[in-house]
Order: sequence, then C-alpha cells, then structure tokens
Amino acid sequence: MRLLSYMGQWKSAAKEVLDRTAIVAKFLCLLHVTNNYLCSPTLVYGPSMLPTLNLTGDVVLAEHVSHRIGKVGRGDLVLVRSPVDPRRILTKRVVGMEGDTVCFYVDPMYSQTTVVPKGHVWIQGDNTYASSDSRHFGPLPYGLIQGKVFFRVWPPDGFGTLEQ
Amino acid sequence: MLPTLNLTGDVVLAEHVSHRIGKVGRGDLVLVRSPVDPRRILTKRVVGMEGDTVCFYVDPMYSQTTVVPKGHVWIQGDNTYASSDSRHFGPLPYGLIQGKVFFRVWPPDGFGTLEQ
Repeated sequence: MRLLSYMGQWKSAAKEVLDRTAIVAKFLCLLHVTNNYLCSPTLVYGPSMLPTLNLTGDVVLAEHVSHRIGKVGRGDLVLVRSPVDPRRILTKRVVGMEGDTVCFYVDPMYSQTTVVPKGHVWIQGDNTYASSDSRHFGPLPYGLIQGKVFFRVWPPDGFGTLEQ
Repeated sequence: MLPTLNLTGDVVLAEHVSHRIGKVGRGDLVLVRSPVDPRRILTKRVVGMEGDTVCFYVDPMYSQTTVVPKGHVWIQGDNTYASSDSRHFGPLPYGLIQGKVFFRVWPPDGFGTLEQ
C-alpha cells in the first residue's frame, strides 16, 4: 500500500517536472525564433561608427525582417557579415544601393567613382578615418546583410532611435 | 550541375552545421546565396578556398589565373558550359554559404550520397 502511494507521488512529481521543462523548452524556442528572425539585442563596439555609436560599446536592437523583404535602403544602419572574416559581424551604414554611383576618397587628394553592381550595396562607417568598409573591400553582396539597427538600449543617455 | 544533379529537379539533403564551424572545403557541394540576386540560392561545387590559385577558361583559347582572397571561396558548376558561377561573378564571400549538400533523396535511382 505504501508502494502505491509512493508511486502516486512520483507520478505527480514527474508530471510537474515535465510541465516545467516543457515551459522552459517552449520559451527557449520562442527566444531563438525571435532572436534570429524578428529582433535581437547586439553589443556593438569599435571606433568606426563614431559619433553615432560609442567606442566602448553600445547595446542596440536590430530587426531581422527588413532585409528579407528588401526594405533596406540608403542611410540605414545595418549589421553585415564581414566579407574578409566570415565569423565577424560589422555595423555600418548603407551609403549606396545597386545601380548608384558612389564617390569616395581613396586618399585626401584623390577621389574615385564606382557604380554599385546588381545585388550589392555600398557600406561605410560614419567615422571615415577609422573604418574598414566598402572603400577597402568593395561593394558588399546584399545576402551578407544580417539585420537593420533601429534602436539603442544602452547606455541610458543614448536610449532611443538612432538618427538617419 | 549536370551530370551530378539532374536537370529536372532533385531533392537533396543539406546540412547547415559545417559552414558555421568552418568545415567547408574543396570538392564540397554547397548551397550559396547568389551575389547577383539575393533571393536566389544556387548549388555549386567549391573548387578553391581562400589563398588558392584558381585557373579557369574565360574562352576556349584563353585561360586566366586568380588567387582567391581571404574570406572568399571559388565556386563552379560541374557543367562548365552552362553554369553561371565564380568565373562570371568572381570569388564568393564565405558568409554567403547557406549549407552543404551531402545526400540525394529523389529520384529513387539516385538515392544515396553524392560523390565528391
């Protein structure tokens, strides 16, 4: 008789464990889908986007919907996978879309003009003196864009949308 | 990609783990996002990795040699006469690789792993 009551307790305890595990698993799945396909926070750091983004690191929100439906345009801050190191993700601004004529300074005395080919974008950091961007590695294939940055969360005095 | 893959459509299995851990190499069949049209995904073979020297024929009389830059791969279709690949749009950034094809499911007489 005591064995039957122990089995009853174990069954209810096991059911509770499974329920809670299911809740955690569903939460993690929802978090994964949201992070990859909707919106995710990202820590960005580096000098290439001064003064828009700080040197020591900002936490920004990036949405992953626009680039899939083709709504990335000039002046947008985007997260892109680096064409030089595929494990790095850069934050730059889209300066030219496909078909645009882009004029950039190779050195202070000499400017060059290129047409952005089909399926590519031209990205540049806001801090042109300390940015490695399309002026160095050429136009970037649109497929390397990972998301669009639209909001800054940290530091608190920078909380708010980022100006275009 | 004739004769490896059929003209009228094959169903293949592609795994999405290898390219994230850097295990894509020469001779692999990969799914890549096209650099010309970002909504299209192509199936090609990796012929050269970064740092390799690739020799390709621009036309039947003239061959050209290029070095694949860092962070890029050189892809070519098996059917060189009817393939738009790195010989036309240049080396492809590694980040555009979406997965590696390793198995064919349909048609039934082609069921099995794809030869390298």
